Amino acid sequence: MTSVRPKLKPDVPKAITAWHTASGEVVWMTPKGDWTSNPDALGVFTGEVAEARLADARAAEGEVTDPYFMEVSETGEIRGRETLRETIRAQGPTTHPEFAKGEAL
Amino acid sequence: MYRYDEFDAQIVHDRVKQFRGQVARRLSGELKEDEFKPLRLQNGVYLQLHAYMLRVAIPYGQLSPRQLRRLAHVAREYDRGYGHFTTRQNIQFNWVALKDIPDVLETLAEVEMHAIQTSGNCIRNVTSDHFAGATADEVMDPRPWCEIIRQWSTFHPEFAYLPRKFKIAVTAAEHDRAAIRVHDIGLHIRRRGEAVGFEVHVGGGQGRTPHIAAKVHDFVPEAEILDYLEAIMRVYNRFGRRDNKYKARIKILVSETGAEEFKRLVDEEFAAQRPDEKVELPRAEIDRIHAYFAPPPLSGRPARSEVFERAKAADAAFASWAEVNLYPHKQSGHACVTVSLKPVGGIAGDATDTQMETVADLAERFGHGDIRVTHAQNLVMPHVALDDMYEVYRALEAAGLASANESLITDMIVCPGLDYCNLANARSIPVGQAIQREFASVEDQRDIGQLHLNISGCINACGHHHVGHIGVLGVDRKGEEYYQITFGGRADEKAAIGEIAGPALSAEDVPPALKRVVNRYRELRTDPSERFIDVYARTGLEPFKEALYAADQER
Repeated sequence: MTSVRPKLKPDVPKAITAWHTASGEVVWMTPKGDWTSNPDALGVFTGEVAEARLADARAAEGEVTDPYFMEVSETGEIRGRETLRETIRAQGPTTHPEFAKGEAL
Repeated sequence: MYRYDEFDAQIVHDRVKQFRGQVARRLSGELKEDEFKPLRLQNGVYLQLHAYMLRVAIPYGQLSPRQLRRLAHVAREYDRGYGHFTTRQNIQFNWVALKDIPDVLETLAEVEMHAIQTSGNCIRNVTSDHFAGATADEVMDPRPWCEIIRQWSTFHPEFAYLPRKFKIAVTAAEHDRAAIRVHDIGLHIRRRGEAVGFEVHVGGGQGRTPHIAAKVHDFVPEAEILDYLEAIMRVYNRFGRRDNKYKARIKILVSETGAEEFKRLVDEEFAAQRPDEKVELPRAEIDRIHAYFAPPPLSGRPARSEVFERAKAADAAFASWAEVNLYPHKQSGHACVTVSLKPVGGIAGDATDTQMETVADLAERFGHGDIRVTHAQNLVMPHVALDDMYEVYRALEAAGLASANESLITDMIVCPGLDYCNLANARSIPVGQAIQREFASVEDQRDIGQLHLNISGCINACGHHHVGHIGVLGVDRKGEEYYQITFGGRADEKAAIGEIAGPALSAEDVPPALKRVVNRYRELRTDPSERFIDVYARTGLEPFKEALYAADQER
């Protein structure tokens, strides 16, 4: 079971995030449509492009698990109602700053 | 402790092999997540905020040194060097890769461990008193019956798809250390003359609708207990709601049906069982299981240990630890040792691989190879001689495991919260650490006395906030973390659900507010032996509520 995720309007900038299936690591879709574990490299999508990319992600069920939209700014900073949750997902537990993310998959 | 027979070993190895195939199919894309999810949950695998989490069963919280060393090995080789002991006496690994989990389960199977019954809508790991078999206040050792119930419930085909998860706890002591009244079924073993039987409580639980269990039977004879449990489970399976997961636990059924009517339904079901349905548990089988839990050969020692007394006189920190973390053993010259996993500023219930190995070594050298996990997220060595205590203490101290705080305010139950959990609304660990820092002084904690402070990061109440003398519940207010405070909860034989004090506080306001509350308690107590919960019972909510919000009135 996952948390309740807010619905985002089409024009709201969004990233696509998921878990890498084999490792469980948190990943984000890059502008090119592949996956990275570096939150600084995430792609920002809107409108129909975003919907199409999310559909692509859901089709790639073996590689990643449970992809969904998260709200970001136009330049990719985490925004919106789930800012704290998504920041912790990106940076690791606040109790273990040494686990903060870095390398791409 | 119980040892696997050939059937147990085969079942667990077969299960690992089966799950290895399921994981391979998931990784190849043959299985979609929706198809895989129920399979992984049946093997204790959750997908949490950062990674997969593997929950490993520790039946009734008992571990051998070999098992604890193997858990340390898993923490070191497959995780990030630590594990998290839970309120259900299990352990969770927070960073295990899915591709590695079949190997982890295989290495655990070698030491008779698994992840069965740690998730899903089945009868979960049976929990018990962490001092079982060691104290004078129990009528018998409850572990054999925990094991019998475990064997009965594991893969019971009738109870594989219950409306919701189902938790059973067993105690045999007058003082309830197993929180049986906040379990789906709580069993209290009683004696009537030579006869052994079970006082049965049903419908307790926490979460969004907390309930204290209703007593439905004073004394079910031991020969009939599995049939009686089966009758309860059948009533639940038949009438428990499946249309709404928030109303699917047995506590809702008992509450909505009424305890009397529920008891009548169970009695009717019990009476309707045909002779060929009855679980015939031969005396020889009961005795065979009991034999696994024979008490350790504790040598007769005088009640007073000169070595122990001299060490206390020479080392004030040891004396303080011994005063707080030792519990009387039924055998003179021995004590039950609580190994605190609650250092100030640490993470409640977390133990590193080396800490686990330290406890395993100590249990082997000084503790008759017996280790327990408590529902308050500590470890216990239940059989340690007073003569050996100082050496044990010094080793624990060197490993960062000698916080003298058992049942004191810094010995808090804390769920992983939003730092790990997909369901949480707020972080639990940092607010717990901030509260610990507010009460860091050992002298201060001892002066305050017993005070159970429990913290949950959401209404699912994994941190048992409902039954904390002080409960702290994280809530989300438009993306901001706030914390609602409750007072007066307790999980013992006088179990009660805490009362909500009022509006939630910001994270930074919680520690000073609780400081005011504790200071108010000190003003109100008649003498230092009157505990916080005793004062609360006498005065009610108002003085504590007033202290909690006193800063608002000053603003």
